[in-house]
Amino acid sequence: MKLYTGGYLTFYMPERKHSIDIQLNAPTPLRDILAQVGIPLNEVALTAINGEQVELDTVLVKDGDVVRVFSSVDGG
Amino acid sequence: MYGTTGKILRVNLTNGAIETETLTEEFYRLYPGGKALAGYILLNELPPHTDPFSPENVLVIANGLLTGAPVSTATRYIVSARSPLTGGYGESEAGGFWGPELKMAGWEAIVVKGKAPKPVYLWVNGDQAEIRPAEHLWGQMTADVQEDIRLELGDDKIRVLQTGIAGENRVRFAGLTNDLRHFNGRNGLGAVMGSKNLRAMAVRGTQRYQSLAYDAKTLMSIGGKLAKSVKENPLSWDLQQRGTPGLVEPLNTGGILPTRNFRQGAFEKMEDVKWEAYEKQILTARRSCYACAVRCKREVAVYGQPSPYGGPEYETVGAFGPNCGVNDLQAIARAGELCNAYMLDSISCGGTIAFAMECFEHGLIGLDDTGGIDLRFGNAEAMLRMIELIARREGIGNLLAEGSKRAAEKIGGDAHFFAMQVKGQELAMHEPRGKYNVGMGYAISEIGADHLVVAHDSAFANPDSIQFKSARGLGIEKALPPRSLGDEKMELFYILEKWGSLEKVVGYCFFGPAPRSFIPVEDVLASINAATGWTLSMQDALRIGERATNMARIFNLREGFSRKDDTLPERLFQGLENGALQGNALPRDEFEASLTSLYRIKGWHPESGVPTRERLEGLSLGWALEMIAPGTK
Repeated sequence: MKLYTGGYLTFYMPERKHSIDIQLNAPTPLRDILAQVGIPLNEVALTAINGEQVELDTVLVKDGDVVRVFSSVDGG
Repeated sequence: MYGTTGKILRVNLTNGAIETETLTEEFYRLYPGGKALAGYILLNELPPHTDPFSPENVLVIANGLLTGAPVSTATRYIVSARSPLTGGYGESEAGGFWGPELKMAGWEAIVVKGKAPKPVYLWVNGDQAEIRPAEHLWGQMTADVQEDIRLELGDDKIRVLQTGIAGENRVRFAGLTNDLRHFNGRNGLGAVMGSKNLRAMAVRGTQRYQSLAYDAKTLMSIGGKLAKSVKENPLSWDLQQRGTPGLVEPLNTGGILPTRNFRQGAFEKMEDVKWEAYEKQILTARRSCYACAVRCKREVAVYGQPSPYGGPEYETVGAFGPNCGVNDLQAIARAGELCNAYMLDSISCGGTIAFAMECFEHGLIGLDDTGGIDLRFGNAEAMLRMIELIARREGIGNLLAEGSKRAAEKIGGDAHFFAMQVKGQELAMHEPRGKYNVGMGYAISEIGADHLVVAHDSAFANPDSIQFKSARGLGIEKALPPRSLGDEKMELFYILEKWGSLEKVVGYCFFGPAPRSFIPVEDVLASINAATGWTLSMQDALRIGERATNMARIFNLREGFSRKDDTLPERLFQGLENGALQGNALPRDEFEASLTSLYRIKGWHPESGVPTRERLEGLSLGWALEMIAPGTK
């Protein structure tokens, strides 16, 4: 899978990279993936898989998925 | 008095008189700067119903009390007058270097009255001020004017605040720029400048803010600590890395990226205009405002040429990109350049062009009206042509230069439905159908639709997020969903509005203090107290913000505004056409009920929205009672 971040979530990514590739052997809860990467779940405001907005709490990710997670953003 | 120069420069362009006014401590404590100072001067010196383009309109440029302090993001100044776009209290703030330079020159504010017989500019060199001829600058692009003034005065460190050709031509959404990169875009205040034959205000100063502060050591300690924290705080780190253009993709994912004149909430060509495209195609460097460690400003190259103007902010990308259906990032950046060269507000300009595009697609205006230009959504070339026509008031540009509300009235038919404006000012690029308090801010703001009235709803959805936790010092205790209204949400609005208003009084940027960004609310308070020697509590500070908001409200009531003006475009009460929030509409009845609640919470009559005697007297504004209710004082 590919994990993209936006807003201030990129701050928590390894080497503060915008995106990383993660190998998945089986469908995995997104919460577990984000926890492993080090992204605080409390800061996640928006989640999309393959372009569709989804609920962070329930979603499973499989290999090949493109996941985007964002913090709250405003102003400017 | 500490934290202030205590002096206002007063300029009468009709007779050339230049005077100095000295502030008192008592006055300073009530109206310490920025929005509060401007509001007081306008209420007391501008007669009601003054034509915004008449010599009698009063143009105020006011620093915040902390503007120029050695603290990141304390750079802002307010420009104010009766707005030619809304007819109400006009206000637009900007950062950059001009405000701090004015402070270093020894002035808190400049108040301009009258009209010069011929084009002029003002030259403020420390405690000396002079009105100089500007006929040679009239009709020139902003970059040329800045260069000419610096050459003429022989100092390339002079800071130039100016309007442009759009202001000269009284385009109702003409703005001001300083250093070609920082904009008082909103409310058409550049057109007020143009109507006074005043092209620019050049400033040079040599003082340091520290010499004004009560406790410079503490102030510098706060500033040093905050500067170090910029890279360690996720919010300020993101502003430094991406700046505001980073908003495009998350807003699109959330279904709240204004697209095709707010019909849609997602743009199918977002990949072409998101931050990664910006970074790859046009970004050349990052810059900052005065003494600010955040460095959220961008430098760009447009069509391969380094631009003398700053790179487009999110608002500009949104207004000329998705909201006009345009996915050509070079054209969007060029649109930003044109706005800056002519000095147009990119939000209102993009919003008005999107309005015209929708009118064109519905046949309300045709090729005969546009001079043969195919003004469909997505036509980048047509969009760029419109900007120049508007700035020069040529062809259909003369109609659109009036803003979408007035243009809709002249076009007739259903055109009013396509004018996405409040009180005459076009909506910023934030979709209220996903953030209901943003909609409330658009509706109730005294300057018309504005996105910086309150920190946006999404920051208060999760009680364990860093943004929410950072707001606890303001008395915010309960997390609430972005798409919710009701009494508790209005209580949240009330606190945030006071806080946002305080920022505009003291000179902090929206991207400085929590909860939007990285400066703890306690440090905001500590910096004010260190600068002034006061011992303000948080409640005292919030009262300063509330006082400023109430003065602006009184200004509008005096001009005839009422509850019917605290509303939103009809489209927002209908469903979004696409995106993650497809079909979502603002709930009209709940919105009206919440507006009533908000009036009550603010100490205004719940039905009329007129501030009560008790609230005004509690804010030391009893003197203004007679302005809204003659004979009741």
